[in-house]
Amino acid sequence: MSTPRRFTACAALLLAAIARPVSGQDSQFGIAGLGTPGHPESVRSRSAGGAFAPFDPTSPLTEASLTDIGSLTASTAASASFRDVESPAASTWLRATRFPLFSLGGSLAHRRLFVGGGFSSYLDRSYAVVTRGSMTLRGVSQAYTDQIGSEGGVGDVRVGAAVRLGAHVALGLGLHLLPGSTRETATRRFDDSTTYAAVEQSALVRYEGLGVSGSALFTLTPALAVTAFGRSDAHLNRYVGDTLTAESELPRMVGGAVRWSPLANLRFAGMAMWRSWSRLGANAFNTISWSVGGEFGVTAPLRFGVRGGRMPFGPGTTAPREWGVSAGTGRGFAKGRGFLDVGLERLARDGDGLHERVWTALVGMTVRP
Amino acid sequence: MITAGATRRAVVRLARAGWLLLVAGCTEKMTAPGVCPDFCPSGSVQVVDTVLRTAVSRDSAFGRPVGYTSPWSTVFLLATSDPGTRDSRPVFRTGRLASRLALSTDTTTSPVVGVDSVIVRLTIVRRDTATHNLAVHFYKLPLAIDSTTTFAALLPPFTDSLIRTVNVDSLLAQPGRKDPVTRDSIVVDTTNHLITLLVRLDSARVPLGTPDSGAVALGVRVTADQPASAAFAASEDVGLGPLVTWYVRLDSLGLAAAHRVETRSPLFDSFVFDPPAPPLDANLAVGGVPAARSVLRVSFPRTITDSGQVIRATLDLIPVAPAHGVPADSFGIAAHAVITDFGAKSPISGTRVDTTIVHIGVTDTVRIDVTNLLRFWIGDTLAPNTIVLRQVPEGANFAEIRFYPSSDLVRGPILHLTYAPRFPFGKP
Repeated sequence: MSTPRRFTACAALLLAAIARPVSGQDSQFGIAGLGTPGHPESVRSRSAGGAFAPFDPTSPLTEASLTDIGSLTASTAASASFRDVESPAASTWLRATRFPLFSLGGSLAHRRLFVGGGFSSYLDRSYAVVTRGSMTLRGVSQAYTDQIGSEGGVGDVRVGAAVRLGAHVALGLGLHLLPGSTRETATRRFDDSTTYAAVEQSALVRYEGLGVSGSALFTLTPALAVTAFGRSDAHLNRYVGDTLTAESELPRMVGGAVRWSPLANLRFAGMAMWRSWSRLGANAFNTISWSVGGEFGVTAPLRFGVRGGRMPFGPGTTAPREWGVSAGTGRGFAKGRGFLDVGLERLARDGDGLHERVWTALVGMTVRP
Repeated sequence: MITAGATRRAVVRLARAGWLLLVAGCTEKMTAPGVCPDFCPSGSVQVVDTVLRTAVSRDSAFGRPVGYTSPWSTVFLLATSDPGTRDSRPVFRTGRLASRLALSTDTTTSPVVGVDSVIVRLTIVRRDTATHNLAVHFYKLPLAIDSTTTFAALLPPFTDSLIRTVNVDSLLAQPGRKDPVTRDSIVVDTTNHLITLLVRLDSARVPLGTPDSGAVALGVRVTADQPASAAFAASEDVGLGPLVTWYVRLDSLGLAAAHRVETRSPLFDSFVFDPPAPPLDANLAVGGVPAARSVLRVSFPRTITDSGQVIRATLDLIPVAPAHGVPADSFGIAAHAVITDFGAKSPISGTRVDTTIVHIGVTDTVRIDVTNLLRFWIGDTLAPNTIVLRQVPEGANFAEIRFYPSSDLVRGPILHLTYAPRFPFGKP
């Protein structure tokens, strides 16, 4: 199959995939805000705490890294999360399975121009909260149970391109479409269900947004590379039917990362990123997140990493804190045309009045047809 | 050195491990207790409880003098003996017997020459069990009775043409529920709460006269120690209506006497009563005989019809006077949606209906839960917002209730509505 045909086939796969809503990591901290930001990282990068994501062409964080993609490459990821939510009300285990990432990239024009695309989770808005209450109706106090739920999220569909300017510098640009939808439900069931009928309302909320990103990759020595990246997202518009119901400012992002490969089979990376989530208004905070990770081995590398930072939404005057460790490995097959990666991540999130502990199992597949 | 087989095995192991992890988590559980307002959505379900005093308009009652159900068309034959209040007596008329009947399986017929006995079957579908010594009296009536016959016109035969009296309570107390002397019997159906009364009439009292050839008209009156009330099944209640069974003798053409059994259902059955039903007035009448209905038009704000969700809606009706009828009775009132609003002749919906029970003598506000109707109207905005109030079952008893109409601004019908406005989906 020729390269353009392969590209077309993979693009068709991509379009078929983005026709379905995607979402990433859920968190109770995102309920009162715009949602929970996703991690635009492949399983390989996420297993190392996300530190390699700015250098990973299959992670849709930077475009300049596409210059390292080599041949046509498609990558996808799946995750299963087990989340323990501890609040003053109760401790609850929650489960979710997600397909948070798909990426596709390759080179054109005799390996001088590299293009890529795909989708990842931008904001997750899947939750269901249950509350109890009572109200006086016709002179009698009536107890009820409310459930407010949302299922879906906002995706990040990226089209990016990168060029290599000489042996040491690569530049990339990306355009991000932020489509999404959530099926939102609101129910109230009275204990006296024979007298008072249940309230059951639902709506499909649609999201639209736009963003641009840019990045530069500097290969200082064969063992040392640094990258800088930035991104600016405009508004996120929410629609119910054709009616615009809300318009939210989206954050800007700047970040930098360094990768050091002291040996052929040993690599380390570190990354830091700042995002201006406080543009959204009350209970939103600017966040700084960081990660450090390593990868040891070539055939079946061991990956490990640590990440930390702040969550963008939460009550009180300080942003909730997030901290996590991760590890994983991978293996190539089909004479190097396929890679299977697995990982395990442990996250801890702490904010005023709420704590979350999350186990996430990750499986990723990368194919080079 | 790593061989291809080792690589394949490692990949398979990794794939299995990843697949197991995904499958283990492949069930969603997103529901958690809310910690509000810090970790809850900003919007919440709102419930509004409001009283719409002007929601009902253009209301009036219909059904007199000819009711939606009249004595000759109802499934019940009402018998009441409440001196000074109500006196109602079922009447029915059967068809003639053939003057000749087949003697055997061939076409040879023989004339009917005599009657051995006559059994009259009546089915009691409802009675006041608080009364004792319930007696059923049978009277022979003129054959000319029809739907225009009045109570007053039948007073003479009800005075001087008594042919049998049966005490139901005594018969129930008999062993086997059979009277060995009169050969009357009674059958009790405890499942369907029916009492079948089989009364034997003397052929001398019900002769097989040549001019009538077995046609018979009977009247029924009930009495008891207290005011008596009972309802008998009419011929409209298929299989349970009055039935007259003739045990006749045929001329045996010189052979042994031949006997035949011939049954006759009523050609006409009804009941006459006194005093007559009061005429309709400006109030909203429901029930009685002839059965009256009231038609009400309902309007409510577009904010509710367009996006609200009805949780509970009651139509509050204030009685002009206590519902009158037999004290032990109660009756149902049904609020029907209509398929099309043709006023008094509006066809009612059999499925879009809400009901309530009204007790005799009670003056409380009658509240009919019309949640189903309002939800139906919100779902089908082309449906007419019209309610027809009727008694259920119609014509089953004399009980009638009248409510203040919407023209009475203080005591007119009220729509008490509990609803949820549209949830603010899509709002931050």
